[in-house]
Amino acid sequence: MADHDEYGAAVDDYLGRSYAERRHELLERGGWDPALASEFADLGWYSLAVPEEQGGLGVPLAALGPVFLQYGRHLVRGPMLEHSALPALVPGLAPATGARPPALVDPGVTDLWADDLGTITRRGPRLDGTVEAVRFAAQADRLVVVAGAAVCLVDPATRGVSIEPLAGADPGVEFARVEFDDVEAGTVLQDEDMVVRLRSWARLLLACELSGLARGSVERTVEHVARREQFGRPIGSFQAVKHLVADMHTRSTALENLCLAALGDADTAPPTELDLLACTAKAHASDVAVRVCEDAIQLHGGMGFTTESDVSWFYRRALALRGWYGDPTELQVRLGATLLDRIEEHA
Amino acid sequence: MSTVPTEELDAFRARAREWLAAVGPPEVPLDLDARFAVLRRWQRTLFDAGWLGLSWSKEAGGQALTHAHQLVFVEELVRARAPQPIGLIGLEVVGPSIDRYGTDEQRRDLLPRMLSGADIWCQGFSEPEAGSDLASLRTRAVLHGDHYVVTGQKIWTSWAHEAQWCALLVRTDPSVRKQAGISYLLVDMSSPGITTRPIRQMTGDREFCEVFLDDVRVPRSNLLGRENEGWAITSHTLGSERSGATLRRRVELEVALEDALGQLRSGGIDDDRVRAAVGRSHIAMRVLDAQTRRTTDRLAADTGPTPVDSVDKLVLNEAEQTVLAEIAGLLGPLRAVPGARPLGLRSDRWAHEHLYSRAASIYGGSAQVQRTIVAERLLGLPRG
Repeated sequence: MADHDEYGAAVDDYLGRSYAERRHELLERGGWDPALASEFADLGWYSLAVPEEQGGLGVPLAALGPVFLQYGRHLVRGPMLEHSALPALVPGLAPATGARPPALVDPGVTDLWADDLGTITRRGPRLDGTVEAVRFAAQADRLVVVAGAAVCLVDPATRGVSIEPLAGADPGVEFARVEFDDVEAGTVLQDEDMVVRLRSWARLLLACELSGLARGSVERTVEHVARREQFGRPIGSFQAVKHLVADMHTRSTALENLCLAALGDADTAPPTELDLLACTAKAHASDVAVRVCEDAIQLHGGMGFTTESDVSWFYRRALALRGWYGDPTELQVRLGATLLDRIEEHA
Repeated sequence: MSTVPTEELDAFRARAREWLAAVGPPEVPLDLDARFAVLRRWQRTLFDAGWLGLSWSKEAGGQALTHAHQLVFVEELVRARAPQPIGLIGLEVVGPSIDRYGTDEQRRDLLPRMLSGADIWCQGFSEPEAGSDLASLRTRAVLHGDHYVVTGQKIWTSWAHEAQWCALLVRTDPSVRKQAGISYLLVDMSSPGITTRPIRQMTGDREFCEVFLDDVRVPRSNLLGRENEGWAITSHTLGSERSGATLRRRVELEVALEDALGQLRSGGIDDDRVRAAVGRSHIAMRVLDAQTRRTTDRLAADTGPTPVDSVDKLVLNEAEQTVLAEIAGLLGPLRAVPGARPLGLRSDRWAHEHLYSRAASIYGGSAQVQRTIVAERLLGLPRG
């Protein structure tokens, strides 16, 4: 993975120089900012993993991992996942020319809450159904729709598509409800493996983003407890505080290593293995990020509870991403089912 | 350490696997005395076939290969469900110290017998009042002519009642900073004045001992390294032992989880709670695996002990305790019945392994000590 660190480092460098001071203002305004999306497009961040023949850089998808880690660490908002991963994974989906992203309309974001999220049914090229929450659907210029074992491309202006923006509680994302009433898809790709790849890469990159959220929280907390004084000394000199910070660092580091190891194996993994790698990383990332962010708020005291501190933003972002493409428990069940169903390889 | 070509290691692994399959690992009896005898014979078998001391020098009786070979063999041993040789403390901790800091005579006299299992070694480090704060140890050694006279008490000394030799940390200078007055002695356990008393663990095993030393005479030539420089030797070897042990434990846990999965499959259960427990165990193992990839890199680079070892140790503790608690949690009420097979799981084995996992965050530097190291030395938080 060391080869891919350069992209993460470049993104870190840019965000450190020109995003940090805008961060709060941008986050306060919600998940969508066309100027910011254009800025990132101009920097070439969306086309990293897009194949060269489509005008991208053609680096392996795994190279996006360290980049998403930085997106999390710097609390970047906007459709980074949609912009970066969808054109890289879906043949025929050209990279965005402007700010508007593609959106992923997928009822498979969850198992346990599937009934609450909705369903899409397909007869030939025609789609029906509803998905109650889709990231950036109202901003999208194309819809990538997962219907059973097929991936369909739909122009949002097609007759029968209705998109209704929703109030959202994820500080980095806009949501909308998407309904299809006998909609004709422009393209239908019958490819079960592509469905697995879409969901797996969503999980892997969200895991990296969560890992970055955890890392950002640890960094803020180390700075804070070393500086904040009570009882005449820095609170970071108290063992109760020190040990909590050590645990935050240890968990966050182990999560980063898990994500990097999963990315290293993912590019060449067959679908079943890819699914295992991705579910493992996402489940653990959701657990660790939420826990680390909670400890960060605790150690920031009253300030941690306010929107003036970064840690409250890290936390709300982590909570929103925790259940997207599988919360820890449903992924644990899914992993266990796959492993128990496997033919035994050892005596 | 230079990097070994992958093909060479693969060929070595294949040879090890073939040999292990041909020789057939021994059954390990539950009874401790019987177990000791079987494992000692097993060490001899391994030694005769040239599988021990892989990374040790030829003059020490080793094979002059690399640490990487050693790791591969340990992994194959575990995968073959074969036991470790009985003299692990000698092989992993004391031996490398003697090979590195010992005199030619010490290496020649002690190491080949340690490898073959002719001599079993124990490690007299901890004391009743010196656990996490090991450097405050009080066992005194006073030089009288060409002998040290040693008096004190050690505890948690595995296999002391069976050992021929002990690597003993003693205080030779009480007047200086505590780390600066410690020496490392190689003590013949048949010396007059040594008494051992086994302690029964909650797993039922009696592997640990208390060791009482009462005016024990140790020849001056049995000092390892220089007088009052024992702490440096200890730190160096505890560090490398820790990394090696982490890698071995990872494979052991992986094999344990495979075994548990096999048993659960045979039990034919169909339940989300079981699936979730398996899922959590799998995640814990993948976390440990990702972490130990870093450990392997550091071992290969021979960086010596670093505060990052403490992160490894904490990750290992958590993985080990998670996996074994998840599996043992599936025994339900039949945990208390060793002969039962709830959901297909062997109750006796998983209850035993689960109990043993609780020691992981205590031995080799407690989790609290590791957290303090991480906070102060890695994150730069002020000392309290």
